[in-house]
Amino acid sequence: MKRILILLTVTLALMLVVAACAVPPAPKEAAPEASEAPAASQEPITLSWAFWGSPEEAKTHQKVADAFMAGHPNIKIETMVAPWSDYFTKIQTLWAGGDSSLIPDVLFLWPTPRYAAEGVLENLDPWIKKSGYDLSDYWPALLESAMYKGSVYGLPRDIGLEVLYYNKDIFDAAGLSYPDDTWTWDELLAAAEKLSIPGERYALGMEGGKYQLWVGQNHGSILDDMRNPSKCTLDDPAAMEGVKFFADMMDKGYAMRDADLSQAGGDAAVFQSGQVAMIIQNASRVSAFNAANMNYDVAVVPIPKGGQRSASAGGAAWVMSSGSDAKEAAWTFLSWLQDTDGGQKIYTASGEIFPALQSTARSDAFLKADQPPANRQAFLTEGENAKVGRFGYFPEWGELNGSIIGPAMQRIWAGEVSPEELLPALCEQVDAFLAENGYPK
Amino acid sequence: MTSQLSTKRAWWRWRPDQQWEGYLFILPSFIGFFVFVILAVIFSLGISFSDWGLTGFKAWAGVENYQALFRDPVFWRALHNTGFYLITIVPSQLVLGLAMALALNQSLRGVGFYRLIYFMPVVTTIVAGAIVFRLLFSTHGPVNGLIEGVAGMFGASVQMPNWLGSTRHSKWAVVFLTLWKNTGFTMVIYLAALQGVAPELYDAAHTDGANAWQRFRHVTLPMVSPTTFFLFIFQAIGAFQLFTEPFVMTQGGPANSSLSVVQYIYLAAFRDIRMDKAAAMAWFLFLFIFIFTLIQNRMQRHWVYYETSD
Amino acid sequence: MAGNVSVSAGNALTGPDKVGRALLHTALIAGTVLMVAPFVVMLVVSLIPQEAFLSRNFSPAQYSLTNFVETFRVVPFGRYYFNSAVVSISVTVGQILISSLAAFAFSRLRFRGRDVLFLLYLATLMIPFPVTLIPNFLIIRELGWYDSYPALIVPGFFSVFSTFLLRQYYRGLPMELDEAARMDGASSLRIWWQIVVPLSGPVLAALSIFVFQAVWNDFLWPLVVTSSAEMRTIPVGLNSFVGQYSTAWGLLMAGSVIALLPVLLIYLLAQRWFVEGITLSGMGGR
Repeated sequence: MKRILILLTVTLALMLVVAACAVPPAPKEAAPEASEAPAASQEPITLSWAFWGSPEEAKTHQKVADAFMAGHPNIKIETMVAPWSDYFTKIQTLWAGGDSSLIPDVLFLWPTPRYAAEGVLENLDPWIKKSGYDLSDYWPALLESAMYKGSVYGLPRDIGLEVLYYNKDIFDAAGLSYPDDTWTWDELLAAAEKLSIPGERYALGMEGGKYQLWVGQNHGSILDDMRNPSKCTLDDPAAMEGVKFFADMMDKGYAMRDADLSQAGGDAAVFQSGQVAMIIQNASRVSAFNAANMNYDVAVVPIPKGGQRSASAGGAAWVMSSGSDAKEAAWTFLSWLQDTDGGQKIYTASGEIFPALQSTARSDAFLKADQPPANRQAFLTEGENAKVGRFGYFPEWGELNGSIIGPAMQRIWAGEVSPEELLPALCEQVDAFLAENGYPK
Repeated sequence: MTSQLSTKRAWWRWRPDQQWEGYLFILPSFIGFFVFVILAVIFSLGISFSDWGLTGFKAWAGVENYQALFRDPVFWRALHNTGFYLITIVPSQLVLGLAMALALNQSLRGVGFYRLIYFMPVVTTIVAGAIVFRLLFSTHGPVNGLIEGVAGMFGASVQMPNWLGSTRHSKWAVVFLTLWKNTGFTMVIYLAALQGVAPELYDAAHTDGANAWQRFRHVTLPMVSPTTFFLFIFQAIGAFQLFTEPFVMTQGGPANSSLSVVQYIYLAAFRDIRMDKAAAMAWFLFLFIFIFTLIQNRMQRHWVYYETSD
Repeated sequence: MAGNVSVSAGNALTGPDKVGRALLHTALIAGTVLMVAPFVVMLVVSLIPQEAFLSRNFSPAQYSLTNFVETFRVVPFGRYYFNSAVVSISVTVGQILISSLAAFAFSRLRFRGRDVLFLLYLATLMIPFPVTLIPNFLIIRELGWYDSYPALIVPGFFSVFSTFLLRQYYRGLPMELDEAARMDGASSLRIWWQIVVPLSGPVLAALSIFVFQAVWNDFLWPLVVTSSAEMRTIPVGLNSFVGQYSTAWGLLMAGSVIALLPVLLIYLLAQRWFVEGITLSGMGGR
């Protein structure tokens, strides 16, 4: 046994020495120039295209690829799909590998700034300029989610803004009038009190991670600047009040606790089963609720008196790999994806997303008068008022939110600690993290 | 590991005629060993001492990655949780596994059936197990239903724990999953050890008037102590590396309360794209396991009984 | 010594008395219930349609195979199954062969550096897998194996644990067998194949099952080295049910049942080998 230990130690020491000597080769500089593939050549160009999605969503993606190939016979699209939970591992591992033949040319990605900072994404500014692609059609503030150092690195596909879904049957049974855009937090609370039945039904199902909606509505924010932060502002009175509003709804039994919600299968499941009367969620639920023939509608999310609409302007974006060997074709595909007459329309018509382009949202592809929810205008209203604030647009945001802010907030949603107690301490941790990473830059 | 002891005299002896044969026999295995272990280890050590982004090596960073670990509260949280898993899972698995093995070592009807059942979780896909346990431990799930039922029988009403949603209970849910999954393995190993204990020892003890407890205490325990030591080390290393259970069942939450070190390594590498930080943590963990094993090795002479082999 | 191990319930000198027996059975049955309950839940939920599950209607009248049909419809489970089988069987055969060769050399051939090398092997048993994950991916990519069977199979050929286990067993076989065979002019390869391997049938069977189930259930490695649906294995495919937003319990459980069936079947058929093999392999600490 003793010999094993001596050997282990010696081996370890040896490894250290070897490691210190073996300098890994510096990464080769990216291929000097890229677009040597003429768009009109005889040989079809193959683009690999990666996205995440459930098997159903993958079918929509395939439909989009087929539609594109039908119009562009010289470009062949090869798809690569992985579920959300595996996707990022996979893509990052491919990038870490650095082999451009394996790395997809066009990808679906979130959050864009994180990857742009690593230099793996193509700066789209020159392409946009060259082709005259129209950026003004995007919802306000949305493009910011795909920008890094002032340049556009991705074209957002959709905007994940939330509206209030309500179950008309439950409202009718309770004798309540439906929510509309005059509702404030007070009306929401009053209705919640009537709608919740202890042990049986909650008024509201809303993911804890969406808490920033309340904060933003109350003119608060998570950080003083979501792009180049210098400090955490969650302990400011405005933000604190927003968090407290949400926490109180849970404490009073109006809103389902976050952990209970996810254990019950998520907001769609509890809304469909009637365990909650309202949910606050983005457009992705519409097709499921329609398929289930639910009697529901949507409204804008109630705001506090003197507050502002504050839907989050963020959505996953299509990006191009900087190492792509067919950039010309990739841009053709990318700009087609984000065209009202191209991919946008197909995705929107599938009912899975609320489109990033205003023209698509105002077209029949989204407004479908014959299908619920009747009040689709609510999405447009929230879109017009969308703001930056839910996500940080700096590389370390994922780590900061995933390891520090998000987990701490979970303790509030679990009812283990009050916002007054937790937020100042949390802000200290956040400030320390920001300082550690050299912010503000 | 333990049988190393009996090779004392032979390790330097060699036969020239078997020299090249030996190397040839080992070659296929050694190629794999060299490429996927030795090379990989050196590579990862290099990463941990550098600034390593998504696209690879950027610059040497010295011990900066390691220093940053000490300032990272989440890393300490994960270390704390892993410690919790270690001190809960390992002893309970040893006790439960030995108890099960003792029970099944009796001449009882249906022993084969019990053994079959107890070992079943060991061969299941951990992903599937973790998903079922998520269901079992949900707020209104079967486990809480059972607690409620039992409490109801005694006329008591208890506050139902929100297993997966509270920072106080989430680790326990992970512990229960691990116990369910792995105790059968411990049992089988113990069973093998028990069947290797010479019946004469029990005969002798019986003749000396030892009762069941004394026979257990003075015959069974010492005779299986090498197995206990093996299992102890084996399971401790497993507990240090716990990953899939919290990853699938609780995602490390809530509030990082069930986050294990290896899970944090995974997150650092694949969510935060901090390969360098992840590598540093992996090496830190290795060091931890190494020291732990070292200490246990020192201590084993106080409680592990080895039969002299010749 | 290997020859006379019996698995019959054993060494308790006197069987427990009646009361003891009853108590023991009660405890054992309670244990059985605990161990089986998750499987029962899995099966029941897999048989219940999603709507019935959400409204907590578990009555047997609801049972149907819809989830299983749906599972096969939405994911190419057949392909995953095939991949898992190909990978698990290849790795098992390859790993056992290669480990057996190495174990033979480590235990029965004498050559310079043998024990040092073996200790080096053992030392690496402690290395946590995240240490080698990323570099191993890079190596696989350099070899041009990404998203292919070799990526899933070849790294599995090599196992320190299997080598260690077999070496422990081979050391227990009497050296006189080798010496006698060498007198008759047998080569080392022949001794390995015609003497040592046949004598280690049970331990090889046990190890094979160990390896097979470990590979069948492996998750992280296939996830990292494959990207297309054509190359996925069962656990990775199972994971694809956990979508971005919702949790389809019925499908998940149906998928889990599908994933578990082969290993459980093999276990039920071969469990005798499992226990016997472990006894023989000397993992019992001797």
